[in-house]
Order: sequence, then structure tokens, then C-alpha cells
Amino acid sequence: MTRTFYVVLICAAMAATREATLAHHSFAAEYDGNKPLNLKGAVTKVEWTNPHAYFYIDVRDEQTGKVTNWALEMGAPAVIQRSGWTRTTLHVGDVVIVEGSQAKNGTPHGNARSVTLASTGQRLGAGSSQGQGPAAEP
Amino acid sequence: MRIGWLGIGAAVGLLTLSVSESVPVAQEAAGAGQPVAGAPAQGRGGRGARGGGRGAPAATESKPTPRWPDGRVNLSQAPGIKGFWNVASGSPIGPGGLPGNLTLDQVPFQDWARALYDYRRERGGLDDPLARCQPAGGMRFFTVPNGMEFIDQPELSRIFIIDGENRDWRRIAMEPGRQHPSEDELVPSYFGDSIGHWEGDTLVVDTVGYNEKFWFIRGGLPHTRFMHLIERFTRTDFDTLKYEVTIDDKGAYTRPWSGGWNIKWQYTNYDGSPGGEIHEYFCIDNERDSQHFAGK
Repeated sequence: MTRTFYVVLICAAMAATREATLAHHSFAAEYDGNKPLNLKGAVTKVEWTNPHAYFYIDVRDEQTGKVTNWALEMGAPAVIQRSGWTRTTLHVGDVVIVEGSQAKNGTPHGNARSVTLASTGQRLGAGSSQGQGPAAEP
Repeated sequence: MRIGWLGIGAAVGLLTLSVSESVPVAQEAAGAGQPVAGAPAQGRGGRGARGGGRGAPAATESKPTPRWPDGRVNLSQAPGIKGFWNVASGSPIGPGGLPGNLTLDQVPFQDWARALYDYRRERGGLDDPLARCQPAGGMRFFTVPNGMEFIDQPELSRIFIIDGENRDWRRIAMEPGRQHPSEDELVPSYFGDSIGHWEGDTLVVDTVGYNEKFWFIRGGLPHTRFMHLIERFTRTDFDTLKYEVTIDDKGAYTRPWSGGWNIKWQYTNYDGSPGGEIHEYFCIDNERDSQHFAGK
């Protein structure tokens, strides 16, 4: 047993006891956990709405230079407020690093698991329903 | 030794994670409002109903079941104590609910109903009407988040149950001797025609007249227009509402069957801030998911 092993186990235990994030749809209906996202870009729009808060970022492909606008889903505002979010946490122009999963249909649409503000390093959970299983209640 | 205990705890957590993600049905949703490990046992305060958040009072034993001056049980707020029922999840099957809950394999499905249920599961919930912002019909009313309250109006012989989710509501007629309309007169609906009465401290509600446009639990247990629900609400202490339901649907099951779960009282707003009031949540406000739904 290595120290790393324990760290992994502890992280798994924390995940197991996290609060339900209560999406109104199952993660599997829309997203593919096998299509991980790790995006960096500037915020172009924020929607502080139900059933999900969204933000949009412009992501530049380093090889082609092409810029794609991604839509990223979070939990409902009332859910992610528990993680420290407010309506003004993100501003247009803020550069963020997003971890999450892409939509199954291959569009530039994803489910954010965490959002890191590049300017401060602050990392916030995004209320992802990933891991709840198809029938976790909404 | 210290790291050994950490390792044991983590392993238990890992096992929990493994189990929770392999449960077959709606049962992973069971245990509505059940405190998680390390959270205040009475559902007090906390961010959401689970866990200690800002402004959360120290966990104490629950207060007794509140009553109105005439002695009837009060199913909602008591004078000077705000809050609501944190209906966040729940299922009539599986180990997270009441002790007598059936397992999935004990549910008396008709063959077609089991096949449809398995198909819905295989599709990952893709076809769930609620995911397209349709109403949370039947008992699902008590599993969607955003808070629930009872409004008891004995002078009008009725009880309303209101949900923060889409601001839905149910009306329970309490007139003695009231009967359901005949089948020809009933207009199939998401919440049906409900008649209630008290059996001691338990509110018993009998409902018929459902449509078939909703899943009555997130896992996708099928039902038909013949569904008849008998629901029993018992506030066992201030912080706990025991919800028991009998599903009587000759169209989908071979016999009536029962299950239930506990619902916990929440003293804070849904986001964990002080207040204890339900809030507005309209799924339809900015529904962008269904355009991306896709099969496996």
C-alpha cells in the first residue's frame, strides 16, 4: 500500500459521500463519460438560469488556430451556490479551465465538472451529475 | 495505524461508490433526505438538506411532531419555525428507503412492464419525460428537488401540497364521504383525483385518474391508466415525514405492492442560506438538454 493509493481511495470515498447534484435528466442521456474535456478559454456569456446554469467559452485550437465556442452546463443555480458560486462568479472575458465531459452527439457542448479561474487559481465544483447513474433522482 | 484507519474509511467509501453506481433501478435515488455520513442527523441547516452549511445550528435531537391547537398533526411549518420538506430523491424500491422496500426482482412486474423498464434503463433515462420538463406525476412529485410544503385548510376540507419544482401542486379533497368521479368522467392527469382522510396521525390519500405521460419514478417503472395510488404520510417527529405508497396497477403489475422512504425537514433555503423558504424553479426556463439527447 502506497501513500498514493490511500490518496486515491480517500478521493473515491469523498466522491461517494458527495451531495446529490440533482440534474433533471440523467448524465447518460446527454453526455459521454468517455469523452473527457479539458478546455481553456475566455468566457463569452453566462446564463444563471434553471434547470442549469451555463457558461460559454471561446477555445482556440493551438494547431489550426480555429476558435470554437463551447457551451458548458453546470448544476442548477441553487445547487452550485452550495459550492460557492454566485451569479457574478464568472464575468465575460474571464479565462477559465474546465474539466468535464462532452455531449454524446459530438457538438461543442459539455457538462462541466470543475471550473478553475485562471487569474486566481480558484477551483469550483460545477454540480455535475456524472456518476449518479441513470436513475439517480433528479 | 493512523493511515490504516484512513485506508479502511476510504475503502468503505470506495465500496459505497461502487455499490451506488451499480444499483439497478430507481433505488439509487432512494433514501430521500437521508443524512449522509458526517451530516447533521436531523437534517437541520446545511447546504441543501445535507451537511452543515452556513448558518446551520448544531445538530440536536428532533423536536416532537408539531400539532395544531385542536390536536391534529401539523404536516408543515410550525409557528416560529420556518422550513420545508426536502424532497430531493426517493424510491419505493431498494435498500435506501423504508425497511420493507422490495428489491427490483421482487417487484411484481407483468412481463411487458419489466421489458419496458429494462429498455428504459438501457437507454440511460433518455426517454424520461421529466428530462424534457414535463410534470413530475404520481409519487415522483415527492422525489424532485426544490422543496415541498403542505397547506392544510380544514375549514375548506382540503389540503394542498405545493412543490418548488415547476411550482406544481396537488389538491387533496378531505370532504367526508367524497367519492372519485366515475372512470368516464375522469380526465387523465399527472396528479390524478385525490381524496384524503386521517387515520390517527397519518394522512391517507387515495388517487386515481392518472395519464400515462410521465414516469412515476426516475428509474422508469412503467404504469398504466389503471394506476391507483394509496399514499400514507406520517410525521414521525418534527424533522421526519414517512412516505408510504401502495401501487395498485392491474395494467402493469400482477398485484398491488408497496414501498416508501423518509423525507427530511430542511431549516434553510434550498441553497443553504438562512430562510427556510422554497424557491422558484421552472425547468422550462432554459431547457437546452433535450436537443443533445442521444442513445448509446
